[in-house]
Amino acid sequence: MHWIMLFIVSCCLFPVGDATAAHVGMACHHCHRQGGAASEPVVGCVGCHGGKEKVFSHAMTKRSGEKQFVERSYGRVDSRFWEKNCDSCHVTGCRDCHSDAGLAKPSVAACQRCHNGYFIGWDYSGRAPREDNMRYQRGIVVNGATFLKMLPDVHYLAGMTCGACHSMDSLAEGKKSSKVCRDCHMPALTVLEHQIPAHLQRLECYACHSAWGAQEYGTFFLRFRDRSVKKEFDLVSLNNVEYLRSAYLKKQEAPPLGLNGRGLVTPIRPQFISYYTDIMSARNNGPENVLLAAEWRAYFPHTIQRGSVTCEGCHDNPTRFLLEPESRRIYDLATDGLGLESFWSQKGQRVVNGSFMDAARYLRMAGKSTEYKRVYLQKWKKLLNHVEPSSPP
Amino acid sequence: MVTLFLLVLLAVAGCARQERREGCLACHSGIEQASRHHVGCVGCHGGDGVAYAKNTAHATMKGGGNPSEPTSWDTSCGGCHRYQLERVTSSVMTTNRGIIRNIQLTWEGEDTKQYATTGGTVFGPTGTTVALTPVAELDNLAGELYRKTCSRCHIGTANGDAYGATHGSGCAACHFPWNVEGVYVGKDRTMKGKAGHSASHVMNPLPDTQVCARCHNRSGRIAFSYLGLYDGNNGLVPTRGGEAGPVMTSGARSLTHITPDLHAAAGMECIDCHTSRDVMGDGYSSQNMYLQTEIRCEDCHGDPVNLPRYREITRENEEAVRESRSYKLPVTSGMLMIQTAGGHQYSNVFYRNGALWLQGKRSGKLHKIKVITGSSEHTVSGHGRLECYSCHSHTVVQCYGCHTTYDRKKQATDFITGEETAGSFNETEDYRMLYPFPLALNQRGKISPVTPGCQTFVSVAEADGSFSKREYVAKFKGAQQLRFAPFYSHNSSKKAIGCTECHGNPAFLGFGQHTIAGNSITGTLICEKSGSKPLDGFLTMKNGQVRAYSAIVREQSRPLNGGEVRRALSVNLCLVCHDTAKDPIYRKGLNYRALDNALHRKLLSLPGR
Repeated sequence: MHWIMLFIVSCCLFPVGDATAAHVGMACHHCHRQGGAASEPVVGCVGCHGGKEKVFSHAMTKRSGEKQFVERSYGRVDSRFWEKNCDSCHVTGCRDCHSDAGLAKPSVAACQRCHNGYFIGWDYSGRAPREDNMRYQRGIVVNGATFLKMLPDVHYLAGMTCGACHSMDSLAEGKKSSKVCRDCHMPALTVLEHQIPAHLQRLECYACHSAWGAQEYGTFFLRFRDRSVKKEFDLVSLNNVEYLRSAYLKKQEAPPLGLNGRGLVTPIRPQFISYYTDIMSARNNGPENVLLAAEWRAYFPHTIQRGSVTCEGCHDNPTRFLLEPESRRIYDLATDGLGLESFWSQKGQRVVNGSFMDAARYLRMAGKSTEYKRVYLQKWKKLLNHVEPSSPP
Repeated sequence: MVTLFLLVLLAVAGCARQERREGCLACHSGIEQASRHHVGCVGCHGGDGVAYAKNTAHATMKGGGNPSEPTSWDTSCGGCHRYQLERVTSSVMTTNRGIIRNIQLTWEGEDTKQYATTGGTVFGPTGTTVALTPVAELDNLAGELYRKTCSRCHIGTANGDAYGATHGSGCAACHFPWNVEGVYVGKDRTMKGKAGHSASHVMNPLPDTQVCARCHNRSGRIAFSYLGLYDGNNGLVPTRGGEAGPVMTSGARSLTHITPDLHAAAGMECIDCHTSRDVMGDGYSSQNMYLQTEIRCEDCHGDPVNLPRYREITRENEEAVRESRSYKLPVTSGMLMIQTAGGHQYSNVFYRNGALWLQGKRSGKLHKIKVITGSSEHTVSGHGRLECYSCHSHTVVQCYGCHTTYDRKKQATDFITGEETAGSFNETEDYRMLYPFPLALNQRGKISPVTPGCQTFVSVAEADGSFSKREYVAKFKGAQQLRFAPFYSHNSSKKAIGCTECHGNPAFLGFGQHTIAGNSITGTLICEKSGSKPLDGFLTMKNGQVRAYSAIVREQSRPLNGGEVRRALSVNLCLVCHDTAKDPIYRKGLNYRALDNALHRKLLSLPGR
C-alpha cells in the first residue's frame, strides 16, 4: 500500500509528458528505492546528485554565524533563545528549497520563504519589513507577513532568479555566490563615477548601486513569562509565544557605508543593535532594555539600480559613515536610556565583518580636491542640461 | 449717576451675599479656590448654595460640573468675560471650520454650505456675516469622519477618559489643569480620585504647553515635535518598568525622545509665541487655522530686509496691558511692544535698550531675541522665497499612507450628537519619518516644508459585508491624487540645514527616497497603487521631464515645477567651491556662465575652449 501511494504521488509530481520536469519517465524506485524513512529526499536525491549534500555542511543548514551571534547576545539571558526564536529557518532536506512542482530549480518565492523580513532576499523583489505595531500590518500578505513596497532590484525586474548568481554548486561549496558583479558587468568608463580610479579600486559596486537598504535601529525582544500580559503590547505575534519583537526605528533609505573584510567601501547595517527586556523582571524593578549587542554587518543589499546617489550623498554626508555631527542629531537615545549616544555614532558599536570608516579618512574624502570638483561639475551638468524648464504642476 | 451707583452697590452686595450664604463647602471642604478673583461657588456654578441635599443643591447648576461648557458659558464665564467669549465662540478651536472643511475637500464631501461644530451666524474676516451649518447635518463620509474621530478635540467636547488627551469643554478645556488620567487629585475629599475631572480646581489663566499638547498631538503632532517627542512607529519600546514605553499617550501610542524645538529647549511655552488672538480668535471667524494665526517668525526675528516692527503703549486700556496682568512683568505705558504680522501687539515681546526681549508669560524669564535682518546667511538671493522654517526645521513629521476603512456593520460614537450610530473607522498606516522632508509652494507663494495631508486610501465595507470602495484615492482639485499640506512642524533648530544638504538632495524638492541615473530621478519607496510613483514624494524626473503626482492643498499651493527644480539643483554648480552662504556670489542671482570663464577653467583644470 505504501509503495502504491508513493507511486501515485510521484506520478502526480512527474506526469509523463511534462517537458520541464527533469525526472520525467523515471521509475519511482529510482528515488524512493530505500522505502520508508529512507525515502527521505536527501538520501534519494544525492544518489544521483552526488556532492550536492555538501550544502548541508554550510550556512543554510549550520547557521553558525547566526548561532554565534545569539550565543554572544540573547543567549546570555536565555540559553534557549535560539531554539525559541531562530530555529525555524534552516535547511534539512532538498525539498525545503526544491519544493515547486517538478522539482524545478527554486523560484525567487521559494528562496524568500526563509530569506524574508530583515534578511536579504525580500529586498530583491522590492519588499522592506514593516513596523512591528499592528497599526502597520496592512497590504499584501506573503507567507503570513506584510511588507512595505519598494523599488525591486533591476535583476529581478529582468526576470532573473536568485539561482542566476547563487548556483547550487556555489552553495554546496559553501560560497555565498557563483557570480559577482564584474563577472557579468564591466564598469563602463563612459560613466563619470567610473572614471575615478579610487571608486573602482576601493568600492564594492553595490556601495553605489544599492538604491536602498532595510535598516533596523534597536531590535527589541520582550520576554513574557506571564503570557496574559502580552495583550498590552499590540505587536505582531511570533512563532514563539514567550516573546514579542519590536524596533526603535526602521529605515529604508540608501544604507550607511563602512568597510568590509576586503577593505572595500560597502553598505553596512545594524545586525543587530539588540535590546532585551524580561517584562516580569522589569515590573519588579529588574533591569530592562538591556543592550546585548551593538553590531553592524557589511552586506550586499539586493536593491541594485542603474543609478546611484548624488556625489554629496557620500562625500558630504558624515552621518552615512556613522560620523553624525551632534548638531544634526535627531533621536535622543540618552534620554530613552538606550546606552548609545546615537545609532549614527561609531562609539560603542562595531562592524563584525569589517570596520567603520575612520573620521580621518572620511575627512580626506570629504575634502574636495580639484579633481573632485571637476567631475562633480560634469555630473551635475549632465543631469541639469536636460531638465525641462517647465512641466505641469 | 444714581442709577450707576445703585448698580455697583447691587453687584458688590451680590458677591458678598454669595460668600456668606453658600453651604457648598459642607461637602466640598478643602476645594481649591479657582483664583483670587473667582470667589464663591454659585457665582460661576449656579445651583442652590443654601440647599443641604446634594440633588437640590445641584439641580440648577450650570453645565453639570463645568459651568464653562458651551451650553452655559454664556451666563457663566461669559457673564463677566464677554469679550473673550465672543472671540472664542467664533474661533477655529470652537467651530473647527478648518478641520471640517479640509476633510470635506479631501474626502469628496464638499457642498455649498459652510459647516461648523454647531450652527449659527458669525462674522467672517471681512466683517460680513457667515451662516454656519451644524456639522451634524453633513450627511456624508466626511461628516462621519469628523464626528466620529476628529471632533473629540474641539473645545466644545470634553474628553474625560482618553489617557493623555483629557480635557474639559468650553473655557475649562484650556483654563483648568488636567492630568493624563483625567482624575481629580486636589484637596476636596468628596471629589478626590474621581475620573472625568480636572486635576485641581485652581484656574489657570495662562495655559502651559501640556494643556495644548492634550489636543495638538495628532495630524501634525506639533506639540510633540515642539517638546521633543515622536510617536514614530509606535514600537512600544524601550519599555518603562516593564510597561510599554518610553512615554505613552492617547491611542496607545508610544513616544520616543527627539531633539526638542530650540524655543522649547530655552524654556518657552506655546503661549509665549502664540497670542490670545491666535488661540482664542479675534472675533472674526476664520475658515482655517492658518488664517486665524497672526504671528510669524519674522515678527520677532526680522526678515532679511526689515527689522521687527514695534509700537509704543500709549493708553492704559491697550490689549497688551490687560493681557499681561498675570505676567511677572506686566507691560506698562511707554513700552515698545513688538507687533504681530496681523498688526497687533505682542503682550510679552518688547524692544528695550537696543535689543528685543521676550518675556515668558508663565515663567517671567526674559529671553533675548536674535534678529537676523541683514545677515549674510539670510540675504541669499532667491531665499526670499523661503519660509524661515524651510531651513530651520530640524525635523518634519511625515505620515505616509493612511489606509482608512469605514465599516457600516460596526457601531461607533458620534461625539457631536453623543449617539452610537452605525459606521466605524479603522486606520492602518504605511510609514512614518522625520528627515529629510519635502518642500513645495504654500498659500503665500513661499517655499515651505510640506507633509502628507493626507494620503488617504478609503475602503468602505457595506452592511452586507461587501466593499463599495477599496483603497480609493479621492478626487482633489478635479483629479484622483494624494495630497501634501504646507506645514511648520514646530521642531526648529538654531543651526539651519546646510546648503549642500538641501540643494544636493532631491528628496527636499519632493522626489522622496530616490536613485539618480543620468537625468532621471526614480523614487525607491513606491505607492502600492502604482509601479513607479513615490509614496514619500510627489515628483519624478524621467529623462529630464519633471512630473508631479500629488496636490499641495491650500489655495495657490503647488509642487515646484521643472524650472524651479532645475534652478534649485543648478546651485550645486557653485556650491561645490562657494560653500558658505556668506560668499558674495550669493548676494545676487547666480551667473552660471562664469563657469566658462578663464579663471574657472584654470581653477577647475577644465580644458580650454
